Amino acid sequence: MTSQLAPTAAQSARAATGGRRRGRGVSQRRVRLLFLAPAALFLLLFSLFPLLQLLRMSVSAVTARTLNAEWLFTGLENFRRSFDGGEGTDALLRTGIFVLVVTTLGMLLGLAAAIALRTRGRWSAALLALMVFVWALPPVVNGSVWKFLLGDRGLFNMIVLELGLRDSPMPFLYSQYWALMSVAFVNSFAVIPFNALVFRAALMNIPPETFEAAALDGVNKWQEVRHVMLPSVRPTTLVLLVLTLVYGFRSFDFIYVMTYGGPGTATNTLPFLGYLQAFARYDFGLGAATSVVTVLGVLILAAVYARSIRREEAES
Amino acid sequence: MNHAKAGPVTSTVKVLLTFMYGVPILWIVLTSLKSSRDVFSSRTSLLFRPEITAYVDALDGALADALVQSVLIATGTTALVLFIAIPAAYGLARTRGWITTLGLGLLIVLQMMPQTATVIPLFQIFGDWRLLDHTIGVIIADTALLTPFATLLLRPFFRAVPRELEEAGAIDGATILRTFWSVVLPVARNGAFTVGTLVFLLAWGEFLYAVNFFLSPGSYPLSALLAQQVSAFGIDWPGLMALAVLTSIPILLVFTATYRLLRDGLTVGAVK
Repeated sequence: MTSQLAPTAAQSARAATGGRRRGRGVSQRRVRLLFLAPAALFLLLFSLFPLLQLLRMSVSAVTARTLNAEWLFTGLENFRRSFDGGEGTDALLRTGIFVLVVTTLGMLLGLAAAIALRTRGRWSAALLALMVFVWALPPVVNGSVWKFLLGDRGLFNMIVLELGLRDSPMPFLYSQYWALMSVAFVNSFAVIPFNALVFRAALMNIPPETFEAAALDGVNKWQEVRHVMLPSVRPTTLVLLVLTLVYGFRSFDFIYVMTYGGPGTATNTLPFLGYLQAFARYDFGLGAATSVVTVLGVLILAAVYARSIRREEAES
Repeated sequence: MNHAKAGPVTSTVKVLLTFMYGVPILWIVLTSLKSSRDVFSSRTSLLFRPEITAYVDALDGALADALVQSVLIATGTTALVLFIAIPAAYGLARTRGWITTLGLGLLIVLQMMPQTATVIPLFQIFGDWRLLDHTIGVIIADTALLTPFATLLLRPFFRAVPRELEEAGAIDGATILRTFWSVVLPVARNGAFTVGTLVFLLAWGEFLYAVNFFLSPGSYPLSALLAQQVSAFGIDWPGLMALAVLTSIPILLVFTATYRLLRDGLTVGAVK
């Protein structure tokens, strides 16, 4: 389930906010900032402090035994160990491929679904509800189902074998090549409903007159998509693109459930590698170093995201 | 809504999507009703005698405990997140200046933070603070995970509350807190419901913190139990699918009750 949403304000709301400020504005502002206090305190303690610890851990030798004792400062040794041996670099490359597949499928099929579900009727309504329901299901549930469907005795292999396309089952989840693709596909499967919902909302905002005018001009279906729909969802596309990139980049739950990083290291993306180094090999320093690199990646994406929503807010 | 008619391409996409999202759901329900023998005999796919053995097996004491844990964690997290995110969202909606900008920037970064990165230091810190193996520890971790997202999604709902409403309240001599409680919050309640629902769904499905912060599977919630079983060797598929269905039933209930809210509310806060 995608847990990211843009903080873009409901633009309609802005009309209502007047610029009136009087003398009591200053003290009111101070009181309103007090509303931030609980969240600030909580996040300081349970989000920012942990990140600081992660940073400290990444430059120290920390194992399960020394986890809650003194840490020996080792400088960039953990980073060297993670990325010099090729483990981290391979994982970074894999993450790139993974993110590319998830983003391409997620965006294209999300838009296609939105265009298809724009139509009136029971089928569209039911299908949209079904997709949102699947999206709302815990990733463990979706992951388990797909692990089963893609297994040796799963639906896909049953079809493949019955049709005589192959005489042995397809190794969807335990071949070096297929495993990453399978997990990436299931990740896109999980993000498509959300993207479809957001695209659909953007399409619904197009005034009907625009379509009527296009129809008068005699445009065909494809031209309608190309020249009417695509331009009007462009601002949405930009923000959604960054969100989908982030979603793919930080994803770990389907990997955990379906392959646990395997076979071998075939589905070790960078976030999951960091997790395994810490919780399967108990080398917390190493895992922290890998995770710090992941966090840096997220910081870059967050900056791009903040820029794109600011531009969108300025444009509207 | 416009009056687009479904063309052949549209229909193809719809058929494809119906299969893509319908088959998995159908499949878990069917499998959960089979016996292990039927699952692994190669032929019978749709023709089998429905059995509820998987459910009977799944519904033992351990499962009831896991269900209680799931309910505790999901409701506890939802309550705590709303308690701190609602005032924060209001504060950020009604102020400008560097504190607000900094706050928003931080929330964007935190909501994108990979959970696999935060679980490492939290494990160490909770070990220090004796929060490991306690349900409250997982609730705190989940709250830290979901508060940024909840605050950012709630903010536009508060911005949509007309300022005039509040000013009328203030002139009457009501304090800001009282105005917030009796004027602003009722107007923005749809937002609070939407966000509360989403937080509940996400907390219900969260398993990474649960798997690592509980030291024995005895205190796992359903999601963690499922995650542990599915990555284990020699999976009992009907049992697992029964567990998956049981994990999904509360989601189905919440979903049925809030679908409209989700469908429309998600896109209010999301990109326009």
